[in-house]
Amino acid sequence: MSPRTLLSARGLVVDRGARKVLRDVDFSLYEGEVVGLLGVNGSGKSTLLESLAGLHPMSGGSVLRNDRGFETTVRDSEGQRGDISGFGLCLQTEGMSGDETVFERIRGACRVAGRADNSEALNEIISEWGLGHRANDRICKLSGGLRRRVAVLSALVPVALNSEQSVVLLDEPSEGLDQASRGLLLGWLRALKMRGHGILVATHDPEVITACDRTVTISETSELTSKIQESNLEHANLPGPSAAESHRELVAWNWRLERRNPIDTIGRGVPALVALLLAFTLSTDIVRSSENYDLLAALILTPAFITAIVTPAIIKRLAEERAGDWWRAMTGTSSRGWFSIMGVSLILPLPIIYLSWFVIADDSGSAMNSDVMLWLWLFAFVIIDLSVAASALHLMVSDLTRAGAVAGILLQLVLIWPFLQMTSALTSIMSNGMSFELALGEPIADIAIAWLTVVLLWAMAVIIPED
Amino acid sequence: MNGEKMNFRDSGYALTYLGLAGVVFVTILSLEYAPGLKPCTGGGCWGAPEAYRILYLHVPFAWCSFLSFCVLFYGSLMWYLKRSEDAWVYFQSGSDLGVIFGLGVITSGPIWASAEWGRPWDWGDMRLNSFALLTAVALFLVYSRQSQPDTQQNRDTLSAVGLFGFALVPITAGATTWWETTHPEVLIVESSETVGMSPDVRSFLLISFGVMCILFTGLLILSNKRYRLAAEVSGRKNELDQEAIS
Repeated sequence: MSPRTLLSARGLVVDRGARKVLRDVDFSLYEGEVVGLLGVNGSGKSTLLESLAGLHPMSGGSVLRNDRGFETTVRDSEGQRGDISGFGLCLQTEGMSGDETVFERIRGACRVAGRADNSEALNEIISEWGLGHRANDRICKLSGGLRRRVAVLSALVPVALNSEQSVVLLDEPSEGLDQASRGLLLGWLRALKMRGHGILVATHDPEVITACDRTVTISETSELTSKIQESNLEHANLPGPSAAESHRELVAWNWRLERRNPIDTIGRGVPALVALLLAFTLSTDIVRSSENYDLLAALILTPAFITAIVTPAIIKRLAEERAGDWWRAMTGTSSRGWFSIMGVSLILPLPIIYLSWFVIADDSGSAMNSDVMLWLWLFAFVIIDLSVAASALHLMVSDLTRAGAVAGILLQLVLIWPFLQMTSALTSIMSNGMSFELALGEPIADIAIAWLTVVLLWAMAVIIPED
Repeated sequence: MNGEKMNFRDSGYALTYLGLAGVVFVTILSLEYAPGLKPCTGGGCWGAPEAYRILYLHVPFAWCSFLSFCVLFYGSLMWYLKRSEDAWVYFQSGSDLGVIFGLGVITSGPIWASAEWGRPWDWGDMRLNSFALLTAVALFLVYSRQSQPDTQQNRDTLSAVGLFGFALVPITAGATTWWETTHPEVLIVESSETVGMSPDVRSFLLISFGVMCILFTGLLILSNKRYRLAAEVSGRKNELDQEAIS
């Protein structure tokens, strides 16, 4: 009986600008084998490996995964996308945020792959790899070699805990590892093979090549040459498989990092407070005593609006060492939607909007002050939604290779419309009190339209880039 | 083949120069010879009837910028569907022309609005804001194209922004502001008696639009030609890179 194909590429064509990096590549990874992907620099090894993980758009062909006897599409040139959950991935750059601890990272990798995390077993593995004393250290505090160990373990452990045959994709895993760690890596590769998993390793390292059952050499013209070989290396002892579990690890990951290093809250709060002070300066007695509340309403809403459109910290977290690519590969097609929701300014809009009201307009003399007080939360709610849309727009910009080199704020301009709609609604409440009449120009209708516009913006910014 | 290329390029230059000369001619014509408006008619009074002359440039600019955004949309959509180099050429030309003509609209418009409305901008106006936002999207695309490596992933992202901008702006504009517009109605179609526009004004506008279209076509041909050549040069450079490796 021939071994089952776990992952395959058919007629794969991947371009980088006008240059074809991969041309009509066919490749299969079978159960119970370690495959070494070889080739000179620039031949497309990393591109092939990352394409198999579904990370690159392709001009031709498809990547397919065998899932319990059924072939499912990971990605194809027609724009179809599918999830490739439960696998292990180690990119050439680490794909980790520096604010995670070693233990959190490996536990997170297990959880996102749908494996239950047994702390005792994980601690044993971490110690075996010489990281026990570093388990609670942040990754940014580790040396390059130690970081590499964590990145490699993040790819190997989830698959080791998986009772079903799965796939591990490793890009230059031995780069920066010391001799002892290489020994461990090779032992683990052999042990994973014994359990029937398929492992693809892009490498230049002759030592890693000795652990392979087959080598595939990719030429500059994308021709693959396959060669079977024997490996007599010893296999390591792996932990037993753990139960399958479903976690919302992505959200937990971001929340954990925000608690540890609240750059999102501070990054949004400081501009909002500066805007509040400016708004207070601008809201002179003349403005406050005026019967035309347009300007006053805009000044009240501006600080909260600013908290919403500031670049969310998740963009920076995902950009660090290609952490975003790792999460995208692991979480599949739903990642963009989740990223945008995680980028939301959840805490600040409500207090900021009430603070603005007290500082700027509480003594404005409007007869409707109590109505405004009663309904300001509704504006905060829409602004929270608006920050989800803003986050999705920031994510679109962050897809660019040099996202820091573009003026993403030009896209945020579209959010001015819901903001103006809310200004109009607040002006109405300040002038005439709250009305629940569902007619155009009435506050509740204005707020509803602002909210719907924001939802539409978010949906389009999430759906269009995902084909 | 070379002869064809030369003709193609020459027609681009010829139309561009003709269009530029035409725009200068129309500007002089509109300032000096175009008929004035009736200050008041049954439809209401103009605040600054003489300032309307800038509309001979503003309105054709607006129509041509809309054509540019259509080219951008076509390029984005075709890139998404076919990922062909030709689609990308249209995408690039559409975004460039969108910035040129869009800036024409949003600079000439406020000059007229200051005189007519007493304020340069109306945040509640759909068309005004639509063009400003579409121009912002086009500007974003131009800057991004220049600053990013030319990879398929970046092209995908930028064409997504192109589609996003084109599809989103009219929808959100319609959703939020369609009932509160101070912008004049569509001048050519609903002209004459209601807003004090004579058939002569309509003819002038049509002439200026025709001239602007010639300029638009010339620029589009030149731009497409330029980007096709750029793709060819890039391909040649890649071939040289490959030879350097081997």
